[in-house]
Amino acid sequence: MGLLSWLKHAADYLGGSRAGPPPGLPLPLASPAWGLWWGLLAALIALFCGQSSKFIYIDF
Amino acid sequence: MVFNTFAYFFVFLIPAALLFRLVRSELRPWVCAVSGVAFFVYFSVTAQAGWVGAACVILFVWESLVSRLYRTWSGWCLLGVGVSLGVLAGFKYWNFVTHWLTAPLGTNPLVWPGAFLPLGVSFFTFEFMHYAIDRYRGRAERGRLGEYLAFIFFFPTMVAGPIKRFQEFVPCLRAPSTAWAADWNRGTTRILVGLVKKFAVADVLTNLTVHLNRADIARADRWALLLWLFAYGWKIYFDFSAYSDIAIGSGRLFGIAIPENFDWPYFRRNVAEFWRHWHISLYRWLVDYVFIPLGGSRGAVPAVCGNIMLVMLLSGIWHGAGLNFVLWGAWHGTLLVMHRLWSLGWSGRALQRADRAAAILVRHAASPRAAPPVPFLARVGPERVTSRRAGAPYRDTPAFLRREPLALSRVERSRTGPADRSGDSAFCPRWLGRGTAWLLTYVAVNLGWAFFAMNTETALFFFRRLFLG
Repeated sequence: MGLLSWLKHAADYLGGSRAGPPPGLPLPLASPAWGLWWGLLAALIALFCGQSSKFIYIDF
Repeated sequence: MVFNTFAYFFVFLIPAALLFRLVRSELRPWVCAVSGVAFFVYFSVTAQAGWVGAACVILFVWESLVSRLYRTWSGWCLLGVGVSLGVLAGFKYWNFVTHWLTAPLGTNPLVWPGAFLPLGVSFFTFEFMHYAIDRYRGRAERGRLGEYLAFIFFFPTMVAGPIKRFQEFVPCLRAPSTAWAADWNRGTTRILVGLVKKFAVADVLTNLTVHLNRADIARADRWALLLWLFAYGWKIYFDFSAYSDIAIGSGRLFGIAIPENFDWPYFRRNVAEFWRHWHISLYRWLVDYVFIPLGGSRGAVPAVCGNIMLVMLLSGIWHGAGLNFVLWGAWHGTLLVMHRLWSLGWSGRALQRADRAAAILVRHAASPRAAPPVPFLARVGPERVTSRRAGAPYRDTPAFLRREPLALSRVERSRTGPADRSGDSAFCPRWLGRGTAWLLTYVAVNLGWAFFAMNTETALFFFRRLFLG
């Protein structure tokens, strides 16, 4: 697996669109580290929410 | 709106997903149907068109009744398609079409002043039509009433897709995934990532790009305009892919797989690849129900190119009732046709003819009695190769102009086998060819967003400023 493919696989896995991690990424689905990842995502949501705006593709 | 509200998650999604998992299997479709009706009514009233919009739930009732009559080669299927098209046309395009038809009068006596759009009309009508067409062709089972209601009322995808297929949805409905932990891990992650994409990226880019108007365009230099266009392209991507992430993650909480809508589209090396990875569910729909019935890729090249152009024009008008959306579709149609011709080797032949013509002109200008002309490109290319199509040689085309990444689509690559990886061209190493192909595709796709972002007049002014200063 090339570096770009590995990065894509890892990004997809961290984004929730792949079932398993790429080779060499020690983060199984049962890992408590997901709590940290979700906490980070929740913090970003809390930081940036409330700016506007509706989704573009609704009632366009 | 809708997916970025507390009501969506705590009133609809989590209760419905939990209930769906806990009830007996024969009740699951009804959980989807009832929660979907409540969702449609609630968000129509609070976020869309009020109680009039909520009354459009009757469209679903009509569809659920008439769909019970669908049979292979049945006229009811055609009626269903016609009604869906009529609903879409009536709500979405009435004022647009009557405005154009009555333009010579100077006023539009047919205008619908209180026009509104039912929640998700562009998407649920496409699902209705898919079911009617597939029943007509005998490609979809009838399913039970509850299953069909669950299909059309499944609220995570009701408002903005991804556009589902009945054949793919029903097996998930009958036997949803039972891996609770994995589903909720993946679903929660997908939803959170979608919300981050929306709030932390798309909304930030919205604030940066929303102010572009004619006066701003007149003041900005061309690099600022180009940067704005790229920012707008990323905003569109992050906004819609965020929505799709939340929809797909929501489906995962139910244990139901929803089709993917995006797969890194901006990293593709030609526009055909881009469209196979951008709004995938719409692209599939257009291919299956418009492009292939028109003849698809079979037939003469002009006919195929015409089919491509028609599909993209439809895609454009589907995105919005305005001339700018038609032009956006025409732009992408033109790009796809160019890519098609390039893939077929027309570009090589055109280049060859131009090359020979140039050689003849120069030779005659230099010395009318000189030896027969030798095309220039034949001299610079160290190798002569044949086209991917048997019997259509690129006799004089230099290697860098026919390299695989620029021309071959994925389908063609699978048909022709692995690309030849022997040695790079003397003129262009492989990475440079790929990088150039990616850059050209990226810029071409992003230029089209100007039509998406502005009305036609402003978009044309934008291009004039961008290219002519």
